[in-house]
Amino acid sequence: MYGELGNKLVQHAKRTQSLAHLPPYQTEFVRAVTREVRDLDKDASVTLSQLGTGFTPSADPATACALLVNHLSMRRNKRCLLAYHRVRSNKLEEMCWNGMDILEQQQQSQQNRGGNNHGSAETTLLAGESAGVNSLSPEEEEFVRQYSDLLAAYKGQWTDIDLTGSLEPPRDLFIDVRVLKDAGEIQTEYGSINLTKNSQFFVKQGDVERLIAQGFLQRLS
Amino acid sequence: MDIDDILADIDGGSGGSLATEDLQALTRAWVNEKGSPEILTYPSELIERVMDRIRKQIETIEMQTGDMDPKMNFRLVILQTELERFKYLIRSFLRVRLAKIDKHALHILTNSEVKARLSASEIQYLTAHQALLHSHYRASFLAQFPPNLQRLDDTAGGISMVEHPDLDQVIFCRVLHDVADPITIEGTDTADVWLKRGDIFVVRWRHVADAVTKGEVELI
Repeated sequence: MYGELGNKLVQHAKRTQSLAHLPPYQTEFVRAVTREVRDLDKDASVTLSQLGTGFTPSADPATACALLVNHLSMRRNKRCLLAYHRVRSNKLEEMCWNGMDILEQQQQSQQNRGGNNHGSAETTLLAGESAGVNSLSPEEEEFVRQYSDLLAAYKGQWTDIDLTGSLEPPRDLFIDVRVLKDAGEIQTEYGSINLTKNSQFFVKQGDVERLIAQGFLQRLS
Repeated sequence: MDIDDILADIDGGSGGSLATEDLQALTRAWVNEKGSPEILTYPSELIERVMDRIRKQIETIEMQTGDMDPKMNFRLVILQTELERFKYLIRSFLRVRLAKIDKHALHILTNSEVKARLSASEIQYLTAHQALLHSHYRASFLAQFPPNLQRLDDTAGGISMVEHPDLDQVIFCRVLHDVADPITIEGTDTADVWLKRGDIFVVRWRHVADAVTKGEVELI
């Protein structure tokens, strides 16, 4: 049926909005919808060329209706495709803003997939964990790469501000944090701190914001 | 102290140094930007001044960090807190603008009057971002479409593809100065509404947009 595949894409997009990660790109659906549009266009032009120039819609309501349905289905499919891609690219942009390294995760999970052949239980587990991340189309990978560049270029003009920083109003200058993963040594203006797992520190918020966002540290209230 | 005193304090400007005024102006610009559905004019001079001050403050802090004097340390904490707050204001301000730029990208690009409200780097970001999105759509599926369906700013078929800001959105605002001309609101039984200083209104954005631009009304 016309538009059914498009509808599926929209449902996927709707689901994507409420997910934390990005589900796999629906290459098959996108291709099928595009094909449907091309077929519809072909049909429409065939019908039109058969009719010639002296066509009055009121004289032949059946053909007019068929043309209209074709036309509207094409437009609808286009809207569905645009909506699907827009939701995904918005999500990718948001990830860029949050400082997630999407491409690196993508590569990692691809490598893990390759590693599966060796039958290691650990890599299987890892691949399963990051399966949600390994889901970009090649076009989307390119998009992410270029958007990161664009973002970096814009951010570069505001180095003092750190545009990707927290959007919560700052309340305290110093906060308590607990280290969840080893993060190595960081430099602060009060000297260097060695962040080893399970240790707890009282540090300046600005110094560790990035690490909190990346999941190395946890803020204690 | 009632609201009038506070207002007099705010826009009297008496005794306040330029720095304090800038802080007020920045806060006001930030709140206005957050409240309004449209993007507002970029206050380039104000941002420039504040950024200068932030840079100086960072230098001061770096210079004095080595000092172990406890009195000095206390001052530093205050300085840094202030710095963080300023940084937050600017960051949030810029991010709100970017969100609007992304949302109404095509509307802004095609409307030169609105486009003039952006800063140079924002325009740069906007054009680059749109080009990027367009080529992404094109590479993903649009290139295989029939040529008459490839446009992204189509208005045919009854639905415009360009998203416009909702000028009828309701906002809360406070009047800072008496406004000379009354505003008329269609569809209500009140004929003219006079904006008197200190009044607070809940009103559609389109009716006070001009007054906000002139600085006679602020959003809250």
